[in-house]
Amino acid sequence: MTNHLHNWAIIWQLVKGDFKLRYKGSMLGYFWTLFKPLMLFGVIYLVFSVFLRNPMQNYAVFLLLGIIIWTFFSEATMTGMNSLLSKRDLITKIYFPREVIILASVLSSFITLLLNLIIFAIFYVSAGLMPGVTTLLFIPYLFLLFLFTSGLTFILASLYARFHDLGHIWEVLLQILFWLSPIVYDLSFVPEAYRQWLYLNPLTQFISYSRRIFLINQSPSLKQNLLLLIISVGTFALGYYFFKRQEYIIAETI
Amino acid sequence: MTSAISVKSLTKTFILPHQKRTTLKESFVDFWQRQTYEKFAALSDVSFEVNRGEFFGIIGPNGCGKSTLLKILAGIYRPDSGIVTIGMADKGTHHAGTHSTPQPLSIASLLELGIGFQQDLSARENIFINGTLLGLTARQIRRLLPGIVEFAGIENFLDLKVKNFSSGMRQRLAFAIAAHIDADIYLCDEVLAVGDESFQKKCFETFASWREQGKTVVLVSHDANQIATLCDRAIYLDHGQLKSTGSAHQVIADYHAALAG
Repeated sequence: MTNHLHNWAIIWQLVKGDFKLRYKGSMLGYFWTLFKPLMLFGVIYLVFSVFLRNPMQNYAVFLLLGIIIWTFFSEATMTGMNSLLSKRDLITKIYFPREVIILASVLSSFITLLLNLIIFAIFYVSAGLMPGVTTLLFIPYLFLLFLFTSGLTFILASLYARFHDLGHIWEVLLQILFWLSPIVYDLSFVPEAYRQWLYLNPLTQFISYSRRIFLINQSPSLKQNLLLLIISVGTFALGYYFFKRQEYIIAETI
Repeated sequence: MTSAISVKSLTKTFILPHQKRTTLKESFVDFWQRQTYEKFAALSDVSFEVNRGEFFGIIGPNGCGKSTLLKILAGIYRPDSGIVTIGMADKGTHHAGTHSTPQPLSIASLLELGIGFQQDLSARENIFINGTLLGLTARQIRRLLPGIVEFAGIENFLDLKVKNFSSGMRQRLAFAIAAHIDADIYLCDEVLAVGDESFQKKCFETFASWREQGKTVVLVSHDANQIATLCDRAIYLDHGQLKSTGSAHQVIADYHAALAG
């Protein structure tokens, strides 16, 4: 038990270090994190809402939520994948549970996500929208998103330790995934025949369910929520198991 | 005398591919090409016991498996076969609750020039990260910080990035952190290789206080004099094989004999 608590102490120290490294401890650094998804948001909004005259109501809020969730996912998987290599000095010198490194890396991105949500809250309120009781579902969704992303990052990171070109491959896959997730568009635009395929991507569920509870205060069905729970916990368990089996090989090959 | 570390027929082989495939592309493109590799026996069938409260030396030429052995003892590498058993702490010596289950002796390791620092973080940040990895709480580290800084002699450089440290400073900092950790067993790899005389003096003082407190120390070195001055018993490794075990003086005599002839 005390061991378990201590792992969280390690994670916390690593997260603090990651924050220092990422933002160089400067205000401008923090500002930059908030700015990055806003830039992406700004340009997509310009193209789809102004140029293409997308008539959707509250498109700004709709889009921003999708982009914030996406930014977390892509940043967490990319940096998390690289985290073992960037901490190889620690890994080859001290034994500690290696999963701590991955969790700390994903947690750093998660904290950025929480900061980005403050911006979202400002957009949300200024659009005249009000949260309801169902909006509280977002809290478990965030937790599940963390689990899902960590699970996937466990797998990516253990593969990356062996195959260094996975970084480039994942970058390309992320670009494809960006357009195959309902970030700039709504699922209702997608022809029926394709829609079910998009649901194979768990990000589709995270994004569209979150939008539903924020924009129309409507909860997805119990079945949908349970499925998301199973997918997230399942991915985490699978990733963790996969990672733990490789743990020693990682220290030797990295 | 009870044993602190017991090692039984430890074997570790590294597989060294002639051409290392580190990309998926290589793995796919060269799939039909048989990958040629060499087996490198870093350790073969090594057995020994380290008694509690003993200073134990591991000596041998470069590439003899000393560091691999220490990494296995530290839990970083896993042996292919063989067993490492860490002794159990005596009841009552451990801080946890009264009904705590017996815990293995705690280990602090100091491997290869530096505990492992994150180069772009300051010394202070690294002290906190390393201290936590070695089992300290943030509060304990805050309490020990002045002592660590003083020991390492880096008072003016605490907020400097570690990458700007000289190798001597880095090594001093690493040793200073380990010296402030309250472990039962200390694993040290060539700790005295760097550092000026005043720092070496501090190291010897630390060793003396560990001895007084009955700590177990495993010391890896290729310097026979260090092993002779510091250790009670030792082993001599060559090409991953245990060549000699016994009192430090006996083992060093064997080592010198082997070098000579």
